[in-house]
Amino acid sequence: MTHPNQENQESHRVQKRARLVDRLMAGVISVGGLTIIAAVLGMMVFIAKEALPLFKPPSSAALSAFKLPPSQGLLLDESGKAAVLVSPREGLHVHRLPDGHLLSTSTDGPKRPWLSHTPLQPRGELLVQGEDGKLTAGALKWAKPSGENNPANWTLEPNWQGSVPVLGAIQKLLSFRLTEGTGLGGGRTLRVVASTSSGLAWLEASLDETQPIALKLVPLPSGLNATCAIWNLDARALYVGTQEGAILDFKMEGEPELLTRSEFGEPISSLGFTIGGTSLLVGGAKGKLAAYQQVRVNEVFQLQPFHAFPALDGEVLGFTYGLRDKRFLAWTSTQVVVDHLTTERRLFSVMVDQATQATIAPRGDLILVGTTDGRVRSWSLSAPHADVSQKSLWGKVHYEGYEKPDFVWQSTGGTDDFEPKFGMMPLIFGTLKGTLYAMLFALPLAIFAALYTSQFASLNLRNTIKPAVEIMAALPSVVLGFLAGLVLAPLFEKIAVELLLFPFATLFCMLLLIPFWSRLPQKWRTIWGDGREVIWVAPLLILGLFVAYQTGPWFERAFLGGSYRAWLQSAHGITFDQRNSLVVGFAMGFAVIPIIFTISEDALNSVPKSLTSASLACGASPWQTAWRVVLPTASPGIFSAVMVGLGRAIGETMIVLMATGNTPVMDWSPFNGMRTLAANIAVEIPEAPLHGSLYRVLFLAALLLFAFTFVLNTIAELVRQRLRKRFETF
Amino acid sequence: MKLFMQWLRRGNVFIWFSGTMLSICLLMIVGLVGFIAAKGLVVFWPQALVQVHGPEGEVLGEITSYEAPFGTEPAKVQFRVGNRDIYGQDFKWFKAAEISRRQEPKDALLIERLENGAFFGSIRDITQDGQPIAIAGAAVEEVKRRLPAMNKLQAQIRKIEKGAVGDLNRKLEDCRRTMESESSAKARAALEQKEQSLKSQYDQLQTELDQLRVKVKTISVTLLTVDGKTKEIPLGGIVRIVPANDLNWFGKVRLYFSRLWEFVADDPRESNTEGGIFPAIFGTVMMVLIMSMLVVPLGVVTALFLREYAKDGLLVRAVRVAVNNLAGVPSIVFGVFGLGFFVYAVGGTLDQLFYSSKLPTPTFGTGGIIWASLTLALLTVPVVVVATEEALAAVPRNQREASLALGATKWQTIWNVVLPGAAPGILTGLILAMSRGAGEVAPLMLTGVVKLAPAMPLDGSFPFLHLDRKFMHLGFHIYDVGFQSPNSEAAKPMVFMTALLLLFVVVMLNLVALRLRRKLRARLGGSTF
Repeated sequence: MTHPNQENQESHRVQKRARLVDRLMAGVISVGGLTIIAAVLGMMVFIAKEALPLFKPPSSAALSAFKLPPSQGLLLDESGKAAVLVSPREGLHVHRLPDGHLLSTSTDGPKRPWLSHTPLQPRGELLVQGEDGKLTAGALKWAKPSGENNPANWTLEPNWQGSVPVLGAIQKLLSFRLTEGTGLGGGRTLRVVASTSSGLAWLEASLDETQPIALKLVPLPSGLNATCAIWNLDARALYVGTQEGAILDFKMEGEPELLTRSEFGEPISSLGFTIGGTSLLVGGAKGKLAAYQQVRVNEVFQLQPFHAFPALDGEVLGFTYGLRDKRFLAWTSTQVVVDHLTTERRLFSVMVDQATQATIAPRGDLILVGTTDGRVRSWSLSAPHADVSQKSLWGKVHYEGYEKPDFVWQSTGGTDDFEPKFGMMPLIFGTLKGTLYAMLFALPLAIFAALYTSQFASLNLRNTIKPAVEIMAALPSVVLGFLAGLVLAPLFEKIAVELLLFPFATLFCMLLLIPFWSRLPQKWRTIWGDGREVIWVAPLLILGLFVAYQTGPWFERAFLGGSYRAWLQSAHGITFDQRNSLVVGFAMGFAVIPIIFTISEDALNSVPKSLTSASLACGASPWQTAWRVVLPTASPGIFSAVMVGLGRAIGETMIVLMATGNTPVMDWSPFNGMRTLAANIAVEIPEAPLHGSLYRVLFLAALLLFAFTFVLNTIAELVRQRLRKRFETF
Repeated sequence: MKLFMQWLRRGNVFIWFSGTMLSICLLMIVGLVGFIAAKGLVVFWPQALVQVHGPEGEVLGEITSYEAPFGTEPAKVQFRVGNRDIYGQDFKWFKAAEISRRQEPKDALLIERLENGAFFGSIRDITQDGQPIAIAGAAVEEVKRRLPAMNKLQAQIRKIEKGAVGDLNRKLEDCRRTMESESSAKARAALEQKEQSLKSQYDQLQTELDQLRVKVKTISVTLLTVDGKTKEIPLGGIVRIVPANDLNWFGKVRLYFSRLWEFVADDPRESNTEGGIFPAIFGTVMMVLIMSMLVVPLGVVTALFLREYAKDGLLVRAVRVAVNNLAGVPSIVFGVFGLGFFVYAVGGTLDQLFYSSKLPTPTFGTGGIIWASLTLALLTVPVVVVATEEALAAVPRNQREASLALGATKWQTIWNVVLPGAAPGILTGLILAMSRGAGEVAPLMLTGVVKLAPAMPLDGSFPFLHLDRKFMHLGFHIYDVGFQSPNSEAAKPMVFMTALLLLFVVVMLNLVALRLRRKLRARLGGSTF
């Protein structure tokens, strides 16, 4: 026997503990619930956060200025931690940044002082005419003593190679290329263009040449005075800019041959390239800036402008480019800018006094500008996603190698100088196309099937149909995609005509049989007919399929000349892909039918009995009641079913991935494929470098999908709630 | 006729039309499931080996498909001729008119091999160390007699390779890594000693393995194709010998189940196109289990909060709409989120905090089963929330009030009365979530699924459950083998079987959920909404 007081205390303790637990759990569940909801909704925020840096404007900051010896050439090394200076008296020397400490000086090489030299190319190539008149080419390369990790002890080797004696006086070396020999000799060939007192001259020589080579004049049309010239990448063509504003394109295989002449509009002061050497940058004496490329017009390649950039405030003195993307630097004596070729965005612009040199680091994140007073100013530039702009995402862009601006998605290429093409339009188009074909297939089937199930099917039948369709909804899409891609697509290719004939064949069979049906005694019809039509139709469908299969080849021979694919090609110019939109439409339709069916059936089923009874009592037939009363009343529910179905079709990944060729084309033809936003993400994101432009663009695509489906589903949900409320009043 | 016109006017034809639409839907479902079942179930049934005289000589193989004459195309027969290493391809098409002298030789053999797929033909002889033991018919008997022992040996080798050697490798790597970060000389010496002993163990294992391998290689079998080409392979390279034309019904059944067992319980071979899919089954089950463990508390807590604790208002309604709608957000979006958030953000941070010695090789900063499960848990949370809410609402009011009236606190009521009442509903939600999770592939492709995982996420080496490991998955297996495999035509039967298995699992889960829900509704009297 416990003491009553003790018992009381005991129960008091229990109560206290219970209350404590209660409060604790209330807190835990509230906090937990709110956190989970926040986390779930935070998904959208996270995806948006990952995509957002795409649209961050480029930022730059002035770094410390420092003094370097006077020079005539400037280049930043890959790491941005050292600058190479060219001075005719002292040759090449390397300074550590940002303090300007001298690291190493190349003492060998052409005899100094140098008479002339070309600008330093972004990869460190340089051509020098030594005091002895010989031309020597060099390519800078860091030499790292083994085991030495301190860059302070590295040396920059110019790798001087060959020296070619020249006949004739050179005023200024303009451009050169070293190309690998192709013939049996195999030696490397040097091609040089330079200005001389008698005009623009060029030479071609093997690197191991010992006999002096004479400069030959470039045959300019009369009345034109060359101001600048540049070899293209393989040195087969020479571009010349003139005082008169003409860009001349010479074919340089054998003797120079003027191919085309394009007008620029103002005196040309500078020529350059972006990485890859496809786009020719042209700068004018009054600051005009444009990019040209070779476009095939009537079987002839012609230089045509394809990008224009905001003008600079004076004569363009030079170009150089970054090695990571299509950005380039252009400078005048008072302004230095960095633009991106593809997007035409100006990433960087600064006003300076008396600039003599300007260069951009290979990574494109550091800019050095030398001025006449010997000071070098530097800026950091942060524009990691310069290759993306609103216009390049949603609009037409004129890409390198394309004849006109176009919507293109091609995110990766095989080479370093590939121009990524992040046009979302082909993907959005593909998504809509796939969705459209899927809905065209699914909507009639699903809605009429739902109407039948809710209004006409017998109770027994309905109780088996609904779960069957629900299970259809659970079919993994990878199984559907596999069947569509590996079984249906080849089958469809073979029997496309038969499948298209199938509805007509079935209809034909039905028309043949309906008169017999309507002649059956009323009693038979009620017993076998009402509510069981679906069972009777099944054999008819199979019969229809059989008839279609039998008549198909005949139809093809009679009307399509034996092969529908040849007919499509010749009569309509349509190519037939095996994995095409019809296959996707079918498979994806299959995936959305159950969703649309279930929601529509629920809506149709919830139409109050009083309405249908009233309609039937007024003498309307069952079909009239279903079509004129039930369907309109439930239409908001059906609308929401369609919205949910749309959402599912838009985001479907595996089916599209497996049943289409995933080519991002923009073509409504049902006989070729497409690439959708979802499939594109699945294909490309595993290989996308973390936080690169592609990665972020794919996040943007995901955000788009998210927003799209979220809006569709919300509309559907709101409509459905309103409908539910409306029926509650009955 | 009048009757017919009236029948038309009353719109009965449209009833028939809509019935037709439903009929098409149902036929499609039945057709699809039936097609996969038919294609999948016959995969392991031994086919007759048919020998014919073709345009290039004798051909032996299984007839895989027949195309009736179509338009201008003549009838064609597809043979699975096997012998990939000799013919370069598994399948050959012949015009039906080209082949003649069809027969089914009793002594034709189907030899399943570890490498290069099946062999169709016969055994010429069996040799040990170059000395012939038996030829022709006797050789077949000899091979059959020696095969079980050889397969056992083979299994032993595989076990050592996968288990002990892998284990030692991992230990050695750990040892080296700690040595790099260890500064004290004494500890280094101890580690070095440990490394030495591990190394000697390793060498010992290697010699053991080498001995076993030599043993496997001593006996070799020369195979003979029907057109006279020979191929010598070690006896250990043979998996099974099937005298396909000489099997009685019982033998066929036995073979069927033996192959089925291999499919379910063995590792894949030949870049997943042969052998079994055990790792994929195991990976799928593991992933779904981990997902379930995560999704139930998440979903139930959310539902409890929404239904029992939060004050019903605009906010709760909005949140409910939002959570419901998450079910409609494309799964690939969840995959993208999983990749960006779980793998790169969370996993990358974990790596930096705890596994920095292994960097730049990521541990958690790359796809793994835990991230895949978390992503799928997020994906399926709405399913559980909706089902749980429904079940919570269905618990009769009087039960709660009775509990409260007896002085129970709110939590006590929920724990003892509401949750037990709602358990079947929660279970339904969980099963639906599992079925959705098992069939989902797109998000997994971004968060940790691979075509061939070197090790299982659960094994005998410490700490047994490896949440950071990549895994194999049935759905991805279908995609990979069907679409990325170099020999997808030969792999098709396997894909059908895998699809059938996946379909079976998903449909079964759904049927169970359906039954549960029906029972629950019957008990509580009708739908609750």
